Order: sequence, then structure tokens, then C-alpha cells
Amino acid sequence: MQKMLSRFSDVLQTAADVLAPPPTRLEDFEYHWKMILNFYQNYDESSKVHIEDTRIPHHLHQMLQLIVDEEKEQQGGTVGPCLEAIVQHKICVLDALTALAAADRPPGARSLALTTGTALLRRTRQPCVNSVHVYRPLQRMLIQCNESPASPTEKEEVELLLTLCGLVRKEPGLANVFTTPFVEDKASLLSIPEDIQKLIPIKSKVQTPKHNTLFEVEFSSNTLRHMPIVRTNGPEDGNTGSGSADDASCKSQKTVYDDNDKFLLIDLLLSYLNSADNQVVLRACEGIMIVSSLPEDDIANLVTSCSPVCEAIVDKLAVKYKCIPFNTEPTDVDNLNITWAYLAQDYGDKAMNKFQGYRELTSFYSWLDYCDTLMKECHPTIAAHLSRTFRQSFLEACAEAGVRSPRHAALATAVLAKCLRAVDAADLISEFSNWLVGEGEVPEWPLLHKLISNCLTDNHDITLETLQFFQTIIEKGTEHSIHRLVLSRVCSRGYLSQQPPLEDEERDRLNDVSLWRERERNREAMQQLQHEDHVTEQIHDILSHEGVDVTGQDGAQNIHKIVNSFLLLLPRAILSDPVGADYLHYIHDAHRHYQFWLDQTSTFNWPSESNYVDTTASSTHSYDSRPEADIHLDEAFDNYKPDDKSPDPAASFYIEKYNYPQKLPKVSTGDEDFDEGPFFRMLYKLLLNMPHQPYQINLHLTAIVSKLALIPHPNLHEYLLNPMLPTAKKTQTLFKVLQEVARKLSVEIPRIKNYKKVIESTRLQLMSEDPIYDERGDHNQLVESLIVLEEFCKELAAIAFVKYQHALQVAR
Amino acid sequence: MAYAYLFKYIIIGDTGVGKSCLLLQFTDKRFQPVHDLTIGVEFGARMITIDGKQIKLQIWDTAGQEAFRSITRSYYRGAAGALLVYDITRRETFNHLTTWLEDARQHSNSNMVIMLIGNKSDLESRREVKKEEGEAFAREHGLVFMETSAKTAANVEEAFINTAKEIYEKIQEGVFDINNEANGIKIGPQHSAVGGASGAGGAGAGGAAGGGCC
Ligand SMILES: Nc1nc2c(ncn2[C@@H]2O[C@H](COP(=O)(O)OP(=O)(O)OP(=O)(O)O)[C@@H](O)[C@H]2O)c(=O)[nH]1
Ligand SMILES: [Mg+2]
Repeated sequence: MQKMLSRFSDVLQTAADVLAPPPTRLEDFEYHWKMILNFYQNYDESSKVHIEDTRIPHHLHQMLQLIVDEEKEQQGGTVGPCLEAIVQHKICVLDALTALAAADRPPGARSLALTTGTALLRRTRQPCVNSVHVYRPLQRMLIQCNESPASPTEKEEVELLLTLCGLVRKEPGLANVFTTPFVEDKASLLSIPEDIQKLIPIKSKVQTPKHNTLFEVEFSSNTLRHMPIVRTNGPEDGNTGSGSADDASCKSQKTVYDDNDKFLLIDLLLSYLNSADNQVVLRACEGIMIVSSLPEDDIANLVTSCSPVCEAIVDKLAVKYKCIPFNTEPTDVDNLNITWAYLAQDYGDKAMNKFQGYRELTSFYSWLDYCDTLMKECHPTIAAHLSRTFRQSFLEACAEAGVRSPRHAALATAVLAKCLRAVDAADLISEFSNWLVGEGEVPEWPLLHKLISNCLTDNHDITLETLQFFQTIIEKGTEHSIHRLVLSRVCSRGYLSQQPPLEDEERDRLNDVSLWRERERNREAMQQLQHEDHVTEQIHDILSHEGVDVTGQDGAQNIHKIVNSFLLLLPRAILSDPVGADYLHYIHDAHRHYQFWLDQTSTFNWPSESNYVDTTASSTHSYDSRPEADIHLDEAFDNYKPDDKSPDPAASFYIEKYNYPQKLPKVSTGDEDFDEGPFFRMLYKLLLNMPHQPYQINLHLTAIVSKLALIPHPNLHEYLLNPMLPTAKKTQTLFKVLQEVARKLSVEIPRIKNYKKVIESTRLQLMSEDPIYDERGDHNQLVESLIVLEEFCKELAAIAFVKYQHALQVAR
Repeated sequence: MAYAYLFKYIIIGDTGVGKSCLLLQFTDKRFQPVHDLTIGVEFGARMITIDGKQIKLQIWDTAGQEAFRSITRSYYRGAAGALLVYDITRRETFNHLTTWLEDARQHSNSNMVIMLIGNKSDLESRREVKKEEGEAFAREHGLVFMETSAKTAANVEEAFINTAKEIYEKIQEGVFDINNEANGIKIGPQHSAVGGASGAGGAGAGGAAGGGCC
């Protein structure tokens, strides 16, 4: 009935148009406005007719279209007559929309009001939001619709909010419209102005203010008319501005906000973060990101100091973390690959139950991805605040307990390791690393110690997850974290010893089997030396290509020796791969990985790597440089005793020329032991235990060490990769530890029945990567560790070679 | 409805070129004459058939305005295909293609299939960019090219479906790792048993060195 009447009136209007001159746009606009008012003047509140069955949507749509059309004809950004009527408050259609939204009469009116408001803002280029008669109804509408719990129109509400965020993003000055004191006092915002109530006489649903954190601050009672739209640093002067669009400049200026100020736009968005509807959450996330990415400093300050947005986002992360079920398999955590933006759609998927904890993990990591993305996109001030909050409220207050709990450590560590792997924002990585390794002068950082002791427990799961965590910590290493973890002790070169305090007897024995001589002797016997030939050729190629005289180069000879020290560490008799077919593959990988490290550390304030190579042969130092660590294990098999006892002069090469201008080399006096620090101590301990540890642990352990070996820092380099380094007897080095492991293996493995066969078949199975093999119980751990060590030695040799090669290029 | 594969697409390009209209035409078969500015990202989905297989397309229509680029970037990661759209009646939208392409290549996975679309082909009289120019740009950058009209629906189906075909072929060739959802491809419920076991990895000694993630 209603509908028919209004149709009829439109027809009458059309009929009138035929007779009279065509109406102007404004007249059209006024006509539709009157039709809306008529409708409400005669509205029966008990009517159940839905708004879509009335003419209201039609009239609103026409009014909107008129504004859109007139804008196209407006020159130079001036406001057309229809919009002008709104700005002048002659036609208060926006206030009417607010009344409709508040009352939701007829049913469906709220949704219509919200979408019409949104459409007005999205379809016009200049919606005059800085005019009081535009922004105040919008504020009112948003606040009155913001119900807790979620209202049925939350989608439309958040859409309007997002639209406003978009406008602020393009016109930063508009942010002020959503901050105190432009947000009027509570009573005024929660009621409909009386003149509008007269025009639209429907009862508002909103009567008593709900508990709403938005209003926990007393708003100032200043009225808008006396406030400039842009707040400046100057003394408050109520008369300089007015609320009208003409006076309001929308350029963002330096403004001052105090802690009691509120940023309504963001605060409102926050209330939608907890919606059950993922689309709504997504919109709120987008809105926050849009506003946070503004380059204006004052807006960034507003976001961090006048809204709890960073806190809310991190709290939500903590809540999601706590929802991860205890019995989630730590190994399931790693394979997740989640982008926050796509999640809302994925959620409907039945595949969300892939495994125990999948849904919760997905939800957690997608939120983490949001934090990370936000941090990359937002203003640096917000990023800094967000990452600090992340550390305090998530890492310290929430995640740390898990790592310390013996029951949950494996899962908690796996989750954290994945977190660190997943994040990309520099601020976040840096806070994360600092939390792990500590800051300031605290030498023994409790959490780091906890992680180290977790690595050394009997619980293999915890060890494994913690090792993987350390691997990630190193990969994502910051200058600070790498320093704390590995460099702080190595920097002093305290591992060097002037007089290796060797017992005479031992020294003789060592010299007897020096690598140099043995190499000559065993050339035919050891097919492994083919590798060396490979390397020799390659180095020769490179050197001659660079125009270096190959034959006379001690540097070149030296790298041969280093490479061979690693390659010949294990006796040929127990090698699983005596041919070493994949050595080139290791060189290739080392190249790639080394490049990664060069890039990763390019901004670090480290001494230059060119010290890796010494292309001069002169021996200018005085201390005894005989290689104390030059044992060769074939001895264990053939008890070789050479008769020539002269020391090897070429071995002195690597301890020369490490004179960094900034740090004089400190050389320990022999009886003073070098303290390698807790991290290296842990690594050495685990390395020594290789023969009795599961394969997976050894794999990750050696992966960590090879990462460290790749790091382009000259001290770390020589400490890890120079087997001929003169050190005190008790000073532990990687090479000594590996020799010890090799010694153990070469004694124990030949005791295995049919050991050559076992080695061969174990290698085959490991290389096949058959998942079933992992589940079988009958592994030979000892042989597996042999194969890991064998491959690890190739890898270290390749790394040493690649770094040498690179240094040569740099030197030229 | 059950599907064999699900592909994730994004639509990118300058503001006003008709991205939202293309999506609406493809999913709802209608045209929207007003420019309803996209802020954030809009979503649409449709089922298509390739090679007798049901394929679900999930499409994210992004905002073209520079101010909202932070959101758009979040969607590059994890998309299998992209429709890069310009407006044949506005040369500047064509001139910006390089920037779009750089942005996409930088933030997306390297296998993402990109289809270049010159939209508004119905406005022949106002054309500013010749078809040959679009073709040349596509050839130079290894893209597939097509001119469409979201208004008349000309070539709209083809644009979306050809992109899907290209992705489908890449899957057959084994270029895409379909088990990695970061590639924007998901295997439908009836297929998921197949891909389950692989990818466990990490068991080979060679992996000790080769498998490092740096
Ligand atoms: N004639 C014609 N007009 C079109 C066509 N496609 C889009 N339009 C018009 O172009 C304008 C912009 O279209 P949208 O699809 O909203 O543009 P968009 O690319 O989504 O823009 P943003 O959301 O700002 O990035 C609208 O007015 C459309 O009606 C077309 O194929 N032909
Ligand atoms: Mg759009």
C-alpha cells in the first residue's frame, strides 16, 4: 500500500515534469528529501513492512546519484548545490540516516543507512567530511551502531569505518575529526538532535549508554563550532576557526595530543577485531593498516599514544597462542604457510581439521603474519611501539613460560621457532632476537641459558626443536644477536696460543704423521684425494685466471691443506662415499649460502673478510706455528710411523697477518684457557656426542655449525675453519672436536659385524629419503652419525674453499 | 560444491580501470556504471570447468589507489594468478604497468601467472592505447594479453578462464608445488589423499647441507 502510494506520487511528479520546465538537480534532490520526510511523518511504528518494500531506498538512491552526477560537472573541486544543501544543513539527510540507523525503522533501515553513507563517501571525490554536518552524523551513526556483542549490521558498520579510514589516508587532516575534542561529549553523540527527531519522529533504539570503553574518558564539553578543525601547537584560540567546511583546512599540521585524547576511528575498529565473522575482522585489520601506514608523524603518535591498538593486536596474538592445544605435534608446526589476508576465505574450508591443532595454529600464524605485515607497512613510530609491545606482552608475558616448562618446551619452542622464521619486519626480528640473546651488559642472559640447557636435556624432542630454533636465530641473525651468541668471545682471538704446550712425546708423534707427509705417502691408497685434485684444479684455474702465479703461492697451498684436513678427517676405510661424487654440489651450495650471508651481514660493522687470504708467503712472526691439530686417523688403521721428523714450514701460513687496526690481536699465553662461551660449549658437547645421538639431531646440529662457518667474520672464520690454528691444549676448537668424534667412530665402527655392508646400506637408505625408514626402529645410529660427519666434512671443506675463493676476488 | 582444484587470483591495476566491474561481470554477469571506489579488497568466487575438471576460482579485487597499496601488497603473496588491468581510454593507466609489474614480481611467488587486460574495449571512439601496444608490452614481459569490456562482457569469461588454463598447464608440467598453499593453489577434497605423503623430506644425508634454508 505504502509502496503503491509513493509510486503514484512519483508518477504525478513525472506528469508534472512534462508540463513545467524540467526541475533543477537541487529541486529533484529536495523532492526526494520531502518524500522521505513524508514517509516518516506518517509512519506507523508498529508496521512490520521491511524497508526494502518501501520507497525509501529509491529516494535515497536518487539523492545519492544526484550528488554523484553534479560532482562530475563541478569545476575545480567546488561543491555542487545538492551537497551544498547538506553542508549548509538545509537538507539534513545525513542526520536522518543516523536517526534511521539508530531506530532501525522500518526494519532494515539501519543497514540501508550505513550502506548509503558508505556509498556517498565512496562514490564522490569530495564528500566534505570536514564539514560538521557531514562528520557529526557519521560519528553518531558509528557510535550508535557499535553494539556489544556484535550487531547484525556489523558488516555494514565496519565497511563504513574502512571507508572513513580510506578518506583519512588520502586527507590526513581528517583524522582530527575522529579525535577528541571533535568527538563530542557522550550524551550528545548517543542521542539524536531534537530538530531531527521532529523531522523523523521515530523512537531511537539507543537510550542508555552501553558499557563502552570508547567513553571511559570524559570528553571536553567544548562545542564543535568553536574549535578549529586542525589543532595547532599554539595557544587555544576558540575563535580562529569554525566548523564549517569553508574554513577548515584539511592539511595535516603538527598537532599535539595528550594521553587522554581518543582516536575514535581506531578505537571503533578495534571493537570489530573480535567479531565472529572473519570478513569483519579482515575489514577492521585493513582499516588499521590503512591509517597506520600514513606517513604523518602526528597521526602515528595519535595511533600509539591515544589508542590501545598495538596492545590490542598483541593481546589478540597472545590469546591465539594460548589456544594452541598441548597435544599438537611440534613437527606439524613447521609446514604451515599462512597469509593473513587470505584466511577469512579459507576458514570456511573443511580442510581446517587437517591435524590436531591445525585450526588454532592457522589462526595464530595468520595473526602473526598480520602483525608482521602491519609492521612493514606502518609508520616507523608505530612499528617501534608495536614491536616493543610484541616483546613485552607476547614474548615475555606469554611465550617465555612455555619454553621454561619441561612439559611444553618442545611445542612452545617449535611454535616460537616458526614465529621467528615467519616474520620479516626488521623491528620485529630485532626485538625477537634481543629477547632471546639479551641486551646491555648482562653477560648470562637467563633465557639463552635456558635454551642452551634445553638443548642438553635427555629429551630428544626438546633438543631437536631447540636446535631448530637456534638455527633460525642464526639465520635471522642481527648484528647484535650474532655477537652475543658467537662473536663476543671469539673477537678477542683468545683461542690463539703462542706456545702450544705440547708434551714432547706428543709433539713428535704429531709431527710424525703430519698431513703434509701423509698426503704424499697415501696418494694412491686414498682415492679420496681425488677431491683434492678437483680442488687443486679449480684453485689453479681461478688463480691463473686472476693472473696469480699458481706454483709459488702459499695461499693456494694453504687452502689445499685446509680442504684436505676436513676431507681426510675420517679414515678411508670407513667412508660411505670414498669417491666423493657430490663434492661439487657442496661447493655450489656453499656459494649460494655464502652469498646469502654476505648480503645478510653487509651492513654489519665487522672487520673485512679480506683477511681470510694471505697471498704473501713471508713468515714475519716468531711464535711456533707447528700444527698441533694435525692428526690423521688412518693411523688408527695402519699404525704408520714415518722416519722424517722435520716440521712443516708451510703450516705457519694461516696465523700471519691478522692485524686488524681496530683490535690488536690478543694471544693467550698458553696456560690461560680460552672460554668459548656457553653456546659453543653446548655445540661442542653435542658434537662430541654425535655417535650416540639420533640422526635428526646430528643433522640439525651440523647445519647450525655450517651456518656459523659461513658467517663472513674473520675471527669466527679462522676459529672454525682453520685446522692449523695454534691453540692451547685445553682450548676447544671445532676441528679438535671433530677429530675426537672421528677417532671414536673409527674405533667403534669396525667392531660392527659386516660394517662395510652396514655403512653402504645405511647410506642408501638415508639418501633415498624414504619416510618409512624414519619410522623403522632398527637404525644404526652409529653409522648414521658417521655419514652425517662425512658429509659435514665435505661441507666444511667446501665452505672454506668458497670463502677463500671469494676473498681472492675481493682482494683483487 | 566439490572441486578438483582451487586457484587464488588477484586483480590489480590503476584506479578506475574497471577491476571491480570485471569481477562483477564474471561472478554476477552484470555491469555497474558507477565507480564504487574499492578500499581494502573485495572478494568473489566462481566455479569453472577445464579439461573436464571443476575448478574453483577465488578472486580478490584490490584497490587501485596508491593510498591503499599497503593492503594490496598483502595479497600478492599466495596468489596463483593475477589479472593486470589497464584502461584503453586512459594512457596513464598503461604507462603505470611497469610499476605494477615490478610490485607484483617483487611480492609474489615467481610462478604466478599474469594476464594483461586492456579493459573498456567498448569505448573504441575514446581509445588512447592501441591494441598492438598492449600486445607488445605483453610479449616483452612474458604475459598473456587480451582486450575486454566489463560493460558488454566481451572476453571477460575468456580472461579469467585462460588464466586458469595457464595455471592448470603449469600444474601438469609440475612447475607449481601444489602442496604448498603459498602458491595459491589448493587440491580439492577428493584429491587430497594423493599429495599427502610427499614432502616429508629431510631424511637424506645430502639434506644436511643442501636443505638449508638460506
Ligand atoms: N564503458 C565501460 N566502462 C567501464 C568498463 N569497466 C568499468 N567501467 C567503468 O569504469 C569505472 C570504474 O570501474 P571500477 O570497476 O569501479 O574501477 P576499479 O578498477 O575497480 O577502481 P578502484 O576500485 O578504484 O581500483 C566505473 O564507472 C565503471 O562503470 C567497461 O568495460 N566499459
Ligand atoms: Mg574497484
